[in-house]
Amino acid sequence: MTVVETTGDEGDLSADHTEFKVRSLDWSISKLIALKNLRIALRYPANIIVWGIIPLLWIAPYLLMMTAIGGSAGNTYFSEISGFDDFIRFVVIGWFVYMYVDNSIWGIGNTFRWEQFSGTLEPLFLAPVPRISILLGGAFSDSVQTTISALVLLAFSCLLFGVTYSVTMILPVIIVLLLMLFALFGFGFMLAGLIIVFKDPSVLTELVDAVVFTVTPVNYPIEVLPKYAQVLSYLMPATLAIGIIRELTMTASFEPGSYLLGVLGLLSLLALFWAVGLAVFRYAEHWTKERGSMGGF
Amino acid sequence: MDNDESFNERLMSRRGWRSEFRAAWALSIKTWQIELSYPLSILWFILMPFLWLIPMVLAGSAVSSGANSASLADMTGISDWITYVAIGTALMGLIISTLWGTGMTLRREQNVGTLETLFTTPVGRTTFIWGNGLHNIQHGGLGVILQLGASILIFGVTINAWGIFPALAVVALLVIGMQGVVYAVASIVLVAKQGWMLVEFLGSTLVLLAPLSYPLAVLPPLLQMAAAGSPLSWGADAFRNSLVFGLAAPGLIQSMLMMLLLDAVYLLVGGIVYKTTHRWVRSRGALAQF
Repeated sequence: MTVVETTGDEGDLSADHTEFKVRSLDWSISKLIALKNLRIALRYPANIIVWGIIPLLWIAPYLLMMTAIGGSAGNTYFSEISGFDDFIRFVVIGWFVYMYVDNSIWGIGNTFRWEQFSGTLEPLFLAPVPRISILLGGAFSDSVQTTISALVLLAFSCLLFGVTYSVTMILPVIIVLLLMLFALFGFGFMLAGLIIVFKDPSVLTELVDAVVFTVTPVNYPIEVLPKYAQVLSYLMPATLAIGIIRELTMTASFEPGSYLLGVLGLLSLLALFWAVGLAVFRYAEHWTKERGSMGGF
Repeated sequence: MDNDESFNERLMSRRGWRSEFRAAWALSIKTWQIELSYPLSILWFILMPFLWLIPMVLAGSAVSSGANSASLADMTGISDWITYVAIGTALMGLIISTLWGTGMTLRREQNVGTLETLFTTPVGRTTFIWGNGLHNIQHGGLGVILQLGASILIFGVTINAWGIFPALAVVALLVIGMQGVVYAVASIVLVAKQGWMLVEFLGSTLVLLAPLSYPLAVLPPLLQMAAAGSPLSWGADAFRNSLVFGLAAPGLIQSMLMMLLLDAVYLLVGGIVYKTTHRWVRSRGALAQF
């Protein structure tokens, strides 16, 4: 009997418990959480596809409005201020990248809130594993789902709007996307901390999403923002990433100097967002536990 | 005991529009109390109208060097594109608030475990929906006022004061028509439970087909035809034209007549769909299922 073998000085504790060491980050837990989330997501495969199609209904009003206002001269003026000749291609690739930003806000930031709605938050928090590993696991699974949705969006946009992009630059694009994604994980950790404190995720998430969307050059070049908003915009990893990816996919040209500079910028933001994100999350967790309001709505 | 009995008897025998309105008003106040108990909700409520408008204005300024657009003037008779977009999108908050806030009412009650309790009260089944609709008209209506006020102060949008009266009539007709859509949304929620995806799709499609930030002329012909069947499409143009041109707004009477007709159809169809769905879901004992 297993129970008899493990009794003694350790009482009823199994080897799993006695040999367990608390770590600050446990990758195996992240992997488990990611697999668990993906298994749940695969039960609703339509969700992932639909999330690639619904954003088309959000992109279209911007494109239609820009067409109505700009008319035939619209592209000329747009080209003068942005350096790109076609605002439809410009906007579509912007939305493709922004899907990842949306994911960091709605997915990673809300990880614990979704667990709370499912009634599994407190059991999860009783497990002797680092909370960050749980968040990171959620971030991995969300990123896989977002990649599928973003690719569906890009494919449908190419079909509907007749836009094309260079695929020869796929490798540098993937490197930039990955760096941005990891930097956004830090942003998601920060939001997760705020949501633990403020509870109502819909309002906070909507607020953050709306502000980030406004300062990120998704539908318009950064030059149309006021100067102070441009500074704020450059603090977002997506701004740098969208700029580099647009350059690579729309002009099909690769300039090593500016590319490396962009990558260095993303690496700096990655370090900054992880440091701030982890600090905010740990402080929020401590603050909430002290007040005993972790499971409150 | 006698008092209790008479109270219960009176409660169960309550009838008429006045008592239904009182119940609807209580639901509306209850929703305000819940919303205001989250401090961030208040901040979001104030900022939301601007945060939706600003990206639109920025996107417009990326294709237009000034405040006037010759292309827009050709299609609509309004050359000031900021005024055009600001007035049109002011309605967006009201529409989204009505669709999401009212349409998802039953799901929200279900999530917090009060749906069955609510359905055991002697209140008309449709009152639950339009009671929350009453709240969302106040909520969305305040948003419209906030956005228009900010547009005037920040972006220099000008409105014709005489146009406020027909614009209010247009909003009233629009809200009535949207109530039909809301009944359909509530039916989807009753059957599909997690119907938010359909609601998102329906809401985004309605917004796409409405001339909120662009004239219908830029839509493909097939979508233009579909847009003619939406009260929001007629309402958005009539609302904006009233506020820009005042009482002499072009096509105002025609738009209002079309809205009256569409309102009757939407309300009738929406009401029948909701009542049938409600009966069907209850007969299957699936009301409280998640």
